Amino acid sequence: MVLQPLGLWKVLGSRGRKVRVVREHYLREHVPCHSSLCQAGCDNDGKLLSEDVTHYVFPDVGVVVDYQEVLEFRELRGVVFTQTACSAVQHSKGRRQYNRLRNLLKDPRHDCVLFANEFQEYAYCSRAKGESQDIWHSRSVYSAAVWYHDHLVGVKPVVMITEDEAAVAMYSSLHSGIYIVSMQEYLLNFWPELQAAQDLYCSVSQALQEKESEGTEREYLEHLPSEVLEAGIKSGRYIQGTLNVNKHRAQNEAFVRLEGSSNKNTDLNSDVLLSGGKSRNRAVQGDMVVVELLQKSEWRGRATALSEGQGEDKLPESTQSQPMPTGRVVGILQRNWRDYVVTFPPKEETQSRSSRRILATPWDQRIPKIRISTQQAEALQDHRVVVRIDSWESTSLYPNGHSVRVLGRAGELETEVQTILIENGVTVLPFSEAQLREMPVNTPEKPWRADEAARRDLRESHLVFSVDPRGCEDVDDTLSVRTLPGGARLELGVHIADVTHFVREGSLTDLEARSRATTYYLADRRYDMLPAVLSADLCSLLGGVDRYAMSVLWELDAHTLVVHKVWYGRTLIRSSYQLYYEQAQALLNGEPVQVPELLQLEPEQRDAKLAQLTGALELLTHVARHLRAQRDLGGALELEGVEVRAQLDEDKNITALVPRQPLEVHETVAECMIHANHWVARKIQESFPQQSLLRHHPPPRQEYFCQLVDCAKAMGFTINTRSNKDLADSLDQAVDPKDPLVNRMLRVMATQAMSNALYVSTGSIPKDQCYHYGLALDRYTHFTSPIRRYADIVVHRLLTAAISLDRGSDPGQTLASNKDLGVTAEHINRKNQAAQRTQKLSTELFQCLYFKDKDPLTDPCCVADAVVYSIRTNGFLVFIPQYGLKGAVYVKNREGQVVSAGPDGTCEWQSGSVHRYPDRISTVCSTGTITFNLFQHITVRISVQPSRCHSDSLLLEVLSCQPHQRPDPVDLPGPQPQGRTHLVQEVVRLAEEASKQAQEKAAQGSRPSEEERDFYQTKWPNLYSLLEEVRELALMDPQACGGGPRLSGGAGCTSTA
Amino acid sequence: MAGLELLSDQGYRLDGRKATELRKVQARMGVFAQADGSAYIEQGNTKALAVVYGPHEMRGSRNRTLHDRAVINCQYSMATFSTAERKRRPHGDRKSTEMSLHLKQTFEAAVMTQLYPRSQIDIYVKVLQADGGNYSVCVNAATLAIIDAGIPMRDYVCACTVGFVDETPLADLCFAEESGSSLALALLPRGGQIALLQMDAQLHQDHLEALMDAAMTACKGVSKVLDEVVRRHLQEVSVLTGE
Repeated sequence: MVLQPLGLWKVLGSRGRKVRVVREHYLREHVPCHSSLCQAGCDNDGKLLSEDVTHYVFPDVGVVVDYQEVLEFRELRGVVFTQTACSAVQHSKGRRQYNRLRNLLKDPRHDCVLFANEFQEYAYCSRAKGESQDIWHSRSVYSAAVWYHDHLVGVKPVVMITEDEAAVAMYSSLHSGIYIVSMQEYLLNFWPELQAAQDLYCSVSQALQEKESEGTEREYLEHLPSEVLEAGIKSGRYIQGTLNVNKHRAQNEAFVRLEGSSNKNTDLNSDVLLSGGKSRNRAVQGDMVVVELLQKSEWRGRATALSEGQGEDKLPESTQSQPMPTGRVVGILQRNWRDYVVTFPPKEETQSRSSRRILATPWDQRIPKIRISTQQAEALQDHRVVVRIDSWESTSLYPNGHSVRVLGRAGELETEVQTILIENGVTVLPFSEAQLREMPVNTPEKPWRADEAARRDLRESHLVFSVDPRGCEDVDDTLSVRTLPGGARLELGVHIADVTHFVREGSLTDLEARSRATTYYLADRRYDMLPAVLSADLCSLLGGVDRYAMSVLWELDAHTLVVHKVWYGRTLIRSSYQLYYEQAQALLNGEPVQVPELLQLEPEQRDAKLAQLTGALELLTHVARHLRAQRDLGGALELEGVEVRAQLDEDKNITALVPRQPLEVHETVAECMIHANHWVARKIQESFPQQSLLRHHPPPRQEYFCQLVDCAKAMGFTINTRSNKDLADSLDQAVDPKDPLVNRMLRVMATQAMSNALYVSTGSIPKDQCYHYGLALDRYTHFTSPIRRYADIVVHRLLTAAISLDRGSDPGQTLASNKDLGVTAEHINRKNQAAQRTQKLSTELFQCLYFKDKDPLTDPCCVADAVVYSIRTNGFLVFIPQYGLKGAVYVKNREGQVVSAGPDGTCEWQSGSVHRYPDRISTVCSTGTITFNLFQHITVRISVQPSRCHSDSLLLEVLSCQPHQRPDPVDLPGPQPQGRTHLVQEVVRLAEEASKQAQEKAAQGSRPSEEERDFYQTKWPNLYSLLEEVRELALMDPQACGGGPRLSGGAGCTSTA
Repeated sequence: MAGLELLSDQGYRLDGRKATELRKVQARMGVFAQADGSAYIEQGNTKALAVVYGPHEMRGSRNRTLHDRAVINCQYSMATFSTAERKRRPHGDRKSTEMSLHLKQTFEAAVMTQLYPRSQIDIYVKVLQADGGNYSVCVNAATLAIIDAGIPMRDYVCACTVGFVDETPLADLCFAEESGSSLALALLPRGGQIALLQMDAQLHQDHLEALMDAAMTACKGVSKVLDEVVRRHLQEVSVLTGE
């Protein structure tokens, strides 16, 4: 053993009393240096510092603590963090920043390593008696730098950067190979081209200086020390939870969502209200806070009136609901600050008192204004800028921050899209060269060839085909079905692209895919999870070429369709037909269809092949019907049903209305995929009961169903929400023959009551709680779309390991533990939510852009039919089927006037009063009374409400309380029941025309057309994926709900006008 | 603010050891002349003294006498100055009594008591400084003391405390590491028999095997050190008594 123990005395406080703690400190001779230049044969594993840098840099403790984010630039290479610096970050900056540093060190894309200098026999220096901590830190870092330099026998110069001038003076002349410079000099001399880092440095250092010259006037109560908080939470005196600010009343109202475990107080099952800024006490949206409940007499209710979100109006008491638990923040356990996008105010608003400090308004309404000290205030006027919050002292009314980078002028398309991405924490840089170098090559000169070894070859034996939307390029699922010899058994096969063959665990591509976690679909563009060579070519199961696949093959009884045997494994397939949905449905219906794959063949041969294909499709449909029926018995919800699909489509893009009357073949394909997912989930859970990734959909909380039940009651239906089966049945019965929208709205409400479906690691939940409520399956996972979801890649790896475990061989690499997998699942969940929000916001952005070009008073597009679906105190919420929009309509405006009936059914503003009932709202004024009932059709005008700092929003006004009469009813199929197939075809035809029109229109449109054309994606995602997304959306929480499904990449705006 | 990081990403523990590394062990035998056997051991900052008297006639109540083997009597105590905050009672509290019992059980399994019927062996252990792994260090000290007393044993009894942090077993815990789940194992290393196994924390059963393996390896490491100590001691003694 090479250890050399060394006694080290430390004095630590514990329980208020000073206690002397003795701790050992072992030093060793061999501490890996993690440099690829190492001559001494260090035991270096993991990532290494590259050798093609000009120098290695050792940041001093102060630099790491204060300027960590500057060091996070990927361009800064060859950075060696000392252990001294890391532990200083851990102690002075807390867990969050420390974790960031840890991730930085782990991330292979950053060229930086940790050198454990404190355990190196010769690099370590013990703290001398009476030496101050800062001096000791600098000395340690310096001695580490010296050791490192000598260890590499001086081949690389070493630079130590420090902000401590005394250290510069003291050490700079001691050693010839080591240069000591300040941070600013370092950036200027070594990275002069990296302007962004210099700007960031300036803004951080300015913020630090400002912090020192802070006033003393106290604006907020001090937070309690953490021991007091911990003790208070344990004793039940305080409550711990996450702060959630009400978006519409950001100044006044915030809620604390309680953490399940910490809540001992069982009678407190709702959120805790924080009223006003003082009781929020410097907590920011998302922080983990500790609250103290106020006396019951001080409890207040939440405001129920719709607010227009401009300024704060003092609400009269009458608009508040029942008093609810109210509290105040006494401490913050964990800050959850991220990057914020803010808009700098125009010049006239800038305070003259301290011109260097600007109050910038964040794009997110829930975030307070942030005080930025900058000298560029004039240049940044009306620009969107990314900022970070540094601190929020009790003496300051607003938090202090510094700017990070400038996005561009507010209101420009590119700026706005970037804003949306940053606000949701989505970073998508183009794939780096190193990542692309990992990719296999497939060019006409150097075609990629499948290697047949160690795979089951299904090319000859199976008829494999895919069914996707027309023009789909990334085919990740194919199907096969056949009757086995003897006729007593069927064999159903699902073959999924074998992405894990190309994306090795831990490779750069894998890391990138993991950090993206999903492909992001925005209204006008998309960010792929995998590089195009994989997603559109080598992984895509195209027709007529050899491709690798992961297959699941079931042997079913030909009559009872009971599963007898399942085979999982890697295969080599060649898809024979790449069908699209309409084509497949036509084949099933026995209509004549052109199949391009068969055109070259002789007529007899063609007929035989066609018959074979049709037979397979029919068999598949038969099996899928059976599977569906079985799930229905278990209580599968039809939430993703016909109407919801269209409903959730918030874009004006009518292509997404296609699934409104889905073809049966959609269902067939989806059912096979669900089946495959389910069986894979079974397999991996049986093989790895503690560490497999499943998709968990917990049953919803009953109280969320209140709105649904009440609304249904108003229409005369009863909804039974006891189990998923009851709910599905009663939803099926709640149909108003006159208005199909009613059922649709009810289903939307049911959808909103659902909990989120989430990825979980099985080790972290009890075995019997993996039930998927929506699909009514005991286990479910995601396996079928590895090209665009990272969870599927994880599942593929698990399945591969399970297969090799069955064969008795070693699974190869060690699997992620339950804890690691839990972290991964958490990450994917977060990214998925971010992706959904991003998409929703970008859709809304495009809606606003669409309506911005139109004059609301004259353009017929701006007038639409709307359905009332929820009643509030001063207005109601409506849904506009034509555009898939949802929004608030006010019947009482700021001046206190109410909507009243005009002579010919139109509406105008007059003074009067509003009366609210559970199922209707009515206004009374001199000319008469108007009543708006639930589910009533009215006509609204849509206009854009511009906003400088935030995103624009749509404003809805009542035009008339009659259903909207469209000028040309053929344009959109009305709700009148028509022949089913006719309607489908009509919609499809219209959809295509409309999308073409829209593309043309957008191309010639008022917006910059070339830019626009660049963003167009000709690739459409596969429709199954669309459905799958919609299903997930259908299971989202109420706020997130209403987001559009993954739209086909087509036009951002499509109208039928 | 942040909790202590027991195992860093680079695989170092708080005091600079790797997961499987033991603390430095230093031991001396025959530290007292008047006792039959004695030993002093330092395992990192945990320091313990063990004294053995016997085998001798039964003292005190005779009804505890066993007719086929010797009775082992253990007493565990901690010096009042052994912990960061001064202890009130050096022995006789619940913890010490339990520890005495554990020691007794351990040595009943290792000492060849059947050679000394109707007699008694006393083992007194005192912890002078506590820094994790008290039980293990006491067992190791007592083993050396028994050898020093010349009482036949089946094998060395070597003990070690192991813990489980971040899915990794840590060998020979220090005080700061002991807060999590920890398992103490006393092993007769040559035959691999377990004299005592004790764990009072929650642990997933999947991890138990890994933890046991780590404990066994650590115990074998300890046994090597103890063996060296004994050999060195014998050499010194034989030099003194020989010529």
